[in-house]
Formats: sequence, C-alpha cells, structure tokens
Amino acid sequence: MTLPQIIAWLTSTPVNHLVMDYRWTWPIAESLHFCGLALMVGTVGTFDLRLLGLGKGISPAALHRSIRFGLVGFAVSVVTGALFIFGQPDQYFYNNAFKIKVVCLTLLGLNVCAFYMLESRQVLAIDAGEDAPVRAKFFAAVSLTLLVAIMCAGRMLTFYRP
Amino acid sequence: MIEVLEALENNALSVWIREFPSVFGFPTILFLHTLGLAMVAGVSIAIDLWILRGPTLASPPRIGGLARTMWLGFGINALSGAALLLAYPAKALTNWVFYFKMALVLLGVYLAARINRELAPGNATGPTLGIAFEARRWAAASLLVWAAAIVTGRLLAYTHSVLFASELT
Repeated sequence: MTLPQIIAWLTSTPVNHLVMDYRWTWPIAESLHFCGLALMVGTVGTFDLRLLGLGKGISPAALHRSIRFGLVGFAVSVVTGALFIFGQPDQYFYNNAFKIKVVCLTLLGLNVCAFYMLESRQVLAIDAGEDAPVRAKFFAAVSLTLLVAIMCAGRMLTFYRP
Repeated sequence: MIEVLEALENNALSVWIREFPSVFGFPTILFLHTLGLAMVAGVSIAIDLWILRGPTLASPPRIGGLARTMWLGFGINALSGAALLLAYPAKALTNWVFYFKMALVLLGVYLAARINRELAPGNATGPTLGIAFEARRWAAASLLVWAAAIVTGRLLAYTHSVLFASELT
C-alpha cells in the first residue's frame, strides 16, 4: 500500500467524518491532547529532574508511582493524536516536524526500555536526600531532552504543513 | 478601545512577532509557551499527585529545585504569553475565554505557592511528619485548575470572534 493510498483510506473512514464534520471534535481532542501531554511530561519530567538532583527531599520511588498517570496521559495523547491523523493525514505524513516528532517518540521509548533494563532497580532503591547514579542521570537527561524536542516538533507542525 | 487595540497591534514589536519570516519568530514563542506550561503545570501536577498519595516523611521534604523549575516555567509563560498577546491583542482581549484562562492560571499559581508553603519545613504535621490534610485539598484543587487552564488555553484558538481590531469597526 503506497502513502497516497493510505491517505485515501484514512480520509474515507468514519473517524475522518467524526473529526472533520463535527465542529467541536478537533478542539476537544486538542484540549485532551494537551492535558495528556501535561500529565506525561509532568510526571516523567519531574522524575527525570529528581534523578538529575532537583527535589531531593522526595525519593525517586515516590515520584515513580505517579508515572502510571503519565502513561494514562500518553495513551490519551496517542488516541487524540491518531484522531488528528485520521482527520488530515496529508498534513502529517508530508510534514517534516511530524517525522521528527515520531523519531523523538521512538527514541524516548527506547530510552525508557534501556532505563528499565539497566538502571531502574538501583534508582528505585534510593532514599529521599540521596543522589542518583551517573548512568541514571544520563538516562534522565536524554529523556528530558527528547520530551522538549517532542513538544517543540509538536508546536512546529502547523508551520511545516505541506 | 478599538484605537488602543489598533495601536497595540500596529507597534513595531507586535508586527515583528506576527510577520517575522522565520521559524524563530512566532512559532518559537508558541513553543516557549508550551515549554513554560510543561514546567509550571507539569511539575505542579507531579507534586499534586505525590501529595494525594499521602506520603509520610522522615523529615520535611526539600523540593526547592522543583519549585524553582515551576517559577522559571511561569516566567517563560508570562513573557511568551505577553508576546503572543501583543501579536494579536484584539483576538485575545475580545474573547471572554481569555479572561477565564488568565483567572485559572493565576489561581493555579496561587495554589502552587500555597502548596509550597504547606511543604515548607515546620509545616509538616504528626509524629512522622505526614503531609497535612490541608495540602491534599489544595493539591486536588490544583489538578482541576491546571486541567481547566490547559483546556481554556487550547480553546482560545477556536473561540475568538476577530483576529484584528479593524474587524471590530
């Protein structure tokens, strides 16, 4: 299936009709997309900041418990993001900012996997007031950089529309 | 009123923000506004969720670094928000949703300051220094206020009736 065929299929679905033909679908989805983003960036980003040495009065494990809400936020952002793609697929698939956003999301996912495989056990055993290991700080710095890049690429979508 | 809005949108800085032909103009200001939101609302949301879990503490929590991140985010938001307002003053100032959003943001910042005060050394309560019930109420209110502020912020793009003051005449 070629890209134009995928775009033609997406625009022929009932989801496209839901997004494009009802005045409030897009604004509501966008509001939820930003709420999901705030939840994800807030919980994951604050955990990253703690690993980098900010807010040491809270243990990483205590902040880590809130990351499940961040996952809910991520799920909301993915679902609402999919609605936008169903609504105007050509505006995304031919958009360089969207491609950068997808690459950054993938790298963020890989960074999360590497963190849980290599470092999470040591990090979650750290008490309030203690410093995180250098390798954990590296994962946190990469995560924060990618979160900022994702937000930046997301905001630039409008300005790189084909 | 229309004259004031026209004077605002015709001043050199306003025109520069709107018309600078590069991604480093209006798009970058918009990105900074989102970054500021993530810093102030995001960190605030994370602290609210932590408080709502009702942690017990061995000592008063030191969250100064996170609080400074929030205030830095608020500063970025205030500056970028002022620039966005200057670019399209009529669009924002003729929309009641804008005033509602501003009220919510101020309330969110007040709640964040209030919660930081509750967490300050000497304010924790109980034999094991549990977080005061009062702080949990503020945290729940803060979560709702930030969600409402984000929603109204997004709806600004869809609820304005004019873009420029000239459309008001």
